[in-house]
Amino acid sequence: MTVLAARFEEVWKSYPRWLSGRRSLRSMASPKMRATGRRQGTRWALQDVSFEIERGQAFALLGENGAGKSTLLRLSSGLGSLTKGRIFVSSDVASVLSLGATLSSELTGRENALTATLLAGVRMRDAPAVVEAALRFAELEEFADSPVRSYSDGMRLRLSFGVVAQLEPGLLLLDEVIAVGDLRFREKCMTRIEELRERGTSLLFASHDLDQVAEVCDRALWLQEGRIRAHGEAEQVVEEYREAMQAETFARTPAPEQDAEGVLKLRENRFGTQELTIEEVVVEGSKAGVAEPDGPLSVNLRLCRAGDPIARPIIGVTIYRVDGDVACCEANTESDEVSLGEVAGEVVVSFNWDRVQLLPGEYVIDVGVYEHEWQFAYDYHWHVYPLKVLGHQGTLRAIFEPDRRRWSVQRS
Amino acid sequence: MPPTPTGIAAEAPIALPDRSGALRPPGSTPLTPGLFKELVLHLVKREIDTNHRMTVLGWAWPLTRQLVQLGVLVFIFGSVLDLGIENFAVFVFSGLLAWNWFSTGVGEATGSLLAHRHLLYQPRLPPAVIPSVSVIVPFVDVLMALPVLVILLQLEAGIPATIVFIPVLVVVQLVLMAGIAWLTAAASVFLRDVPNIVGVGLNVLFYLTPVFYGLKVIPDQYAGLLKLNPLATIVSSYRAILLGEQLPGTFAIVYCLAVAAALAVLGYLLFVRLQNRFVDNL
Repeated sequence: MTVLAARFEEVWKSYPRWLSGRRSLRSMASPKMRATGRRQGTRWALQDVSFEIERGQAFALLGENGAGKSTLLRLSSGLGSLTKGRIFVSSDVASVLSLGATLSSELTGRENALTATLLAGVRMRDAPAVVEAALRFAELEEFADSPVRSYSDGMRLRLSFGVVAQLEPGLLLLDEVIAVGDLRFREKCMTRIEELRERGTSLLFASHDLDQVAEVCDRALWLQEGRIRAHGEAEQVVEEYREAMQAETFARTPAPEQDAEGVLKLRENRFGTQELTIEEVVVEGSKAGVAEPDGPLSVNLRLCRAGDPIARPIIGVTIYRVDGDVACCEANTESDEVSLGEVAGEVVVSFNWDRVQLLPGEYVIDVGVYEHEWQFAYDYHWHVYPLKVLGHQGTLRAIFEPDRRRWSVQRS
Repeated sequence: MPPTPTGIAAEAPIALPDRSGALRPPGSTPLTPGLFKELVLHLVKREIDTNHRMTVLGWAWPLTRQLVQLGVLVFIFGSVLDLGIENFAVFVFSGLLAWNWFSTGVGEATGSLLAHRHLLYQPRLPPAVIPSVSVIVPFVDVLMALPVLVILLQLEAGIPATIVFIPVLVVVQLVLMAGIAWLTAAASVFLRDVPNIVGVGLNVLFYLTPVFYGLKVIPDQYAGLLKLNPLATIVSSYRAILLGEQLPGTFAIVYCLAVAAALAVLGYLLFVRLQNRFVDNL
């Protein structure tokens, strides 16, 4: 018989929808304002969600913002009440949910860590050692006695995770907060999570990093508007999610105009909502569209947004080899930790290599600009920009030319 | 509960107390009594620490405030408008201590869930603890001022043997305050006007409580009104014990105990009934 770490039985959760703002006496008293304080129906955050997590499993929650991932995690850790259904979790559960919500900004990091440690169930005689270890893990010893109000988001996360990292929970609930840490700390967290998993901790976490989900998790649940859209093996769910994102982009691509000119044609080699457009792409190696195998290359994108700024779009560049349509190189601003911030008007983004390291041949470059959670593309140019890598192709059919290679021959 | 390891290796994880891993509804794993006690003490202590942080006088502030209040009241009602009350300094100070504890405690507790929302996000902490801590914290100010009261008492009237009954009254006042605090704190989450209403109410109550005057000077037609205020009975009883004044009537005492007990039971039950909905309404 399998041992469960959590069970969700037909979970429904609704929030009252208020017309505006806070309820106060005034809104209840005046007839004009009365409508303000009245419930305006309900918004269903979760609808009929049932699943189980086996002990030792790593379970991912996928879905766009507002799909119900955070609600599900909060309910699992005992915050808020269910509208219908039942949730059971392992009695030794620990969680890192919303950023800093569990921290008092007036108190110091050390005091907050102590409160969190006691609340996790550690007795006072053991707590100081746990707190020190947490501060060490979070690399916050220097700031331990500063009030948390002076902490950055990353530091708050480090503190919250630092405490949990000292515990050995049966079930660990993680919201996406972990993404605010820098790359190094995120890796430290993942290493710690792996250690805990080896010791038997189950994991339920929400993530936008599809590659990470596919790599770390056994199972995944995809929530859409509070309902289960897919549930199964992590890799399979991630695949479905990716396909749906492509379909979403296609569906959102406006119909082409009749007399459209130029190389780019909507729904043929140009996709996306066109709310943010890539106006011009310049591929520059030794000259336009041409590069030396060991020379530099830059891809310059001129972005244009008419209207309100768009927050934190992601830019992706992929190089394909024409022969065989193999993706040789893929990069995006999110995984390289570059943030574009708010984009409005014209913005030029350059992506540069010092050495191309591709074998001579014909290549083609795809460029795209995506919504900040990869929900869909604003603009995507498919197989439009050619790149020729110079040199004699010879008999080599490969694509990659490794750096600093040497041969050695030994004869006995 | 299995014992938690005492020596924790530098980076080795520590097992959570309930290791059974049995499936339970979230947030229903109870704290053990020992841990609960440590946690409440810790919360009270950190609350006191924050109140006095970043100030030069620190701990001396609450005492300073009460002594200045005492000085003003003694000057006005002892010298300028002489109310003709014997041992006026002790008389006023005893009333003032009880009143300040009540008004600070109830005032702070009313907004406590909103001010300490980070604690509401800790599912293992019973939320009823949060306003209770706000009620307990200002009692520390009373303890700090106690030596001054004793000295005044010694100077003016001598220390009576009946002083040993003071803790009984303290418990009655604590129960009354906790009941009100649970009600107002829970109500504040759903109706943000409540802290303001409580503020106004406390202003009015100050004059309906015999802090700087005695029940003796109240005309008969209003005396009945004052008896409806349980705090008036409590303050008069403190004075009866300390200064040998007449105890409030039996009816007033029974009424006061009944109100305190009823509010505490009602407040707690209502609070627990509503507590699941706090997080969604913050």
